[in-house]
Amino acid sequence: MTTLAVGLRRRRLLPAGLHTLRGTAGVLLVGVVVLAGLLAPLLTDADPLAQSGLALAGPSGAHPFGTDDLGRDLFSRVLHGIRTDLLISVTAVPVGAVLGCALALLAATSRGADVAVQRVFDLLLAFPGLILALAVTAVLGPGRWPVVIVIALAEIPGFGRQLRAGILVQREREYALAARVGGASRARVLLRHVLPNAVDPLIVQGAIAFSLAVFIEGAMSFLGVGVRPPEPSLGGILSQSMAYLSTHPGYAAAPLLVVTALVLGLTLIAEALNEGIRR
Amino acid sequence: MTSLSRRSLLRGSVAAAGLLSLAACRSAAESGDGAAASAGPRRGGTLSLATTIDYTPSLLFAQSANTLVQRLVFNTLTRYDDQLRPQPELATSWQPAADGRSITFKLRDDVLFHDGRKFTADDVIFAVKNLQNPVRSAQLRSTAATVTEFRKNGDHELTLELAHPVSNLFDLFEFMIITDSATVEDAVAGKQLIGTGPFRYGKRTPGSSITFTRNEKYWNPGRPYLDGVEIRVIPQADSLVSSLKTGQSHLSYHVPGKDLAGLKGSGQFQLRPYDTGSGAYYIGVNVSAEQVKDKRVRQAISWAVDRERLVQQALGGYGLPSAAPWPKSSPAYSDANATHYRHDPAKARELLKEAGVSGLTLPFAHSNTPDGTAIAQILQHDLKQVGIETELQPTDSPTMQKQLISQTMPALWTLSHGFAQLHPATLAVSAYPFNEAKNSSHFSSPGYTDIVQRAWKRPDSDSAEAKALYQQVTDTLLDEAFVIDLAIGGQIEVAGTKVHGATLNKFNYLNLDDAYLTV
Repeated sequence: MTTLAVGLRRRRLLPAGLHTLRGTAGVLLVGVVVLAGLLAPLLTDADPLAQSGLALAGPSGAHPFGTDDLGRDLFSRVLHGIRTDLLISVTAVPVGAVLGCALALLAATSRGADVAVQRVFDLLLAFPGLILALAVTAVLGPGRWPVVIVIALAEIPGFGRQLRAGILVQREREYALAARVGGASRARVLLRHVLPNAVDPLIVQGAIAFSLAVFIEGAMSFLGVGVRPPEPSLGGILSQSMAYLSTHPGYAAAPLLVVTALVLGLTLIAEALNEGIRR
Repeated sequence: MTSLSRRSLLRGSVAAAGLLSLAACRSAAESGDGAAASAGPRRGGTLSLATTIDYTPSLLFAQSANTLVQRLVFNTLTRYDDQLRPQPELATSWQPAADGRSITFKLRDDVLFHDGRKFTADDVIFAVKNLQNPVRSAQLRSTAATVTEFRKNGDHELTLELAHPVSNLFDLFEFMIITDSATVEDAVAGKQLIGTGPFRYGKRTPGSSITFTRNEKYWNPGRPYLDGVEIRVIPQADSLVSSLKTGQSHLSYHVPGKDLAGLKGSGQFQLRPYDTGSGAYYIGVNVSAEQVKDKRVRQAISWAVDRERLVQQALGGYGLPSAAPWPKSSPAYSDANATHYRHDPAKARELLKEAGVSGLTLPFAHSNTPDGTAIAQILQHDLKQVGIETELQPTDSPTMQKQLISQTMPALWTLSHGFAQLHPATLAVSAYPFNEAKNSSHFSSPGYTDIVQRAWKRPDSDSAEAKALYQQVTDTLLDEAFVIDLAIGGQIEVAGTKVHGATLNKFNYLNLDDAYLTV
């Protein structure tokens, strides 16, 4: 059993996990939404910020999803909202992942560091996401960057704990022991031998983290402390649509469907990957 | 075996709950029928009223978002009719001195407080002194403070001496509730309310409900018709509307304009607008900011905004587009004032050019509620059309209030203001955005101060001369544009067909003296 062999097996198994029905459905759902967001400028030439007197109109040729309460094209707003959400997630999740992993590696160096890092994770986990969001925006004010910071902070303990658990298991395995006996330094064993074998669960965690990011952005914009209006975001559109839920339910439907598809797709991918790893 | 029996138990209880809720639906439906069965007032019944905002005991003596309680438990000395002529309530008659420096009231001698004590002139003296106390944060404090001396002539006649005549004196008596002096601290702490009003304070569950029972010894014989009143606090507008639709609540003054359309068509409700409105939406301008020092820039902003669209899209069509702060109930209202600025982007651009301003970017604070955000986005879009870029700053309401009072607002902000529904002097000496001596806009000019003082310090309020002064106040406000009024919010009473006779006074105190429920 060498590092290489384990690495090879992982590479073969992971895509296999996505080949299941569940995985394919997830990839399709996320793929469609992400493509719609990326191709937004090509799919519609309506300005997501242009207002008009035509408010709360139903779907029509000019406005496929109708218009919102201020007469803006809802199709364009939803597509550009996806872009906003994707941009935020793509920035925030890797930052959270790298910070979490760095902390986990730091914890692996000594018992004292482990205790300290664990308590930091406890502290972050003890903060409910929304309280954390309100605390951060109380200092920084609402906007795109506070959302990124909140998501990154919220993701740190998830990644950190996962990696720490992996490291604890892997470093007691024979190959790690062999490397140590062979005279490899502590850092080399950790980075070169243990780390590559402990990252599997992180890929699953990554998929979960993206769904959490969509969720946090939605919640923050819904509370009015997220992305600043008039810029569209999925949570922001939902928040504005709530007042019209009984009179114009179609207004809330589009952003709701997109958020659901995105979160469901990411969850399906995470589950499929998880199964692939365990097989 | 055990799991099976548990399941059947569950099934049984779900069925029972379903049956119960069915029965509840039916009783609600039945009580909704036969609305206009009987004519004329009927004794009995408990009126249920829904509001989105809870009553705050510490703001009992201030104008706040919920002023439904004041006139249920308490009385005022006088009350205005629709032409703003004072009518007797606890005062039976009054005689102002010719020079306007004193006024003599004759008071009712048959009035008892809820604890059995007799109402006398001392209670009026206490009420005025109470409003003079800064702790009560009464907005009409400046008017109350003009009373310098009290002269009693027996227990039921009282003369108030004034430092100078004031035109909005009866606004004060419409505003000032007569409370029991011994329990006033309990009242602002929310423990008990002792007044002379038609209903006794019952039980309050903060954030949920307040109940009231009939005052059997009310001075107005045969009144009130109702046995009791319940105020339900329902913060979500959706839930409030469904509470009205199911008949759980009979009456509400807090249905958002967007939801009124759905209620109007149903035939289940009577919708009645009040001329006083529910406050005016405005853009405040901090004139100490360099970019907006020039009044032509502020006027350009006023020309740039589309008030009609704001009313349609943000207020659900229930509101009055108006460039002046006055609702229709105010003696200063006129169509010409309301339409002084119309939507004219070309004119706005011209004024900006004249002022030599281009590439303007201004910070713009707004309340971070969905409604506040919608209004701010509409204004931002309109301003962008004439070349004024704005950076929206969503702010929570307490912070905005603090900035308003401490005068630390950014160059632009949008909020709503009250106190324009009565005599114009009340607005100009009471409301934070307009106060001539110290306002949120940092605006001051000897001309404005002079005209406001002259409109305020005069014995009469409705003569041609007074009205000419009000027009001068309006002209100054429109010309200087440090407060840019947009629209008067609609104050709409939504009453089930069973409810009759409920009214609000000019400060939105709920008066249910003559209200009754038909079967």
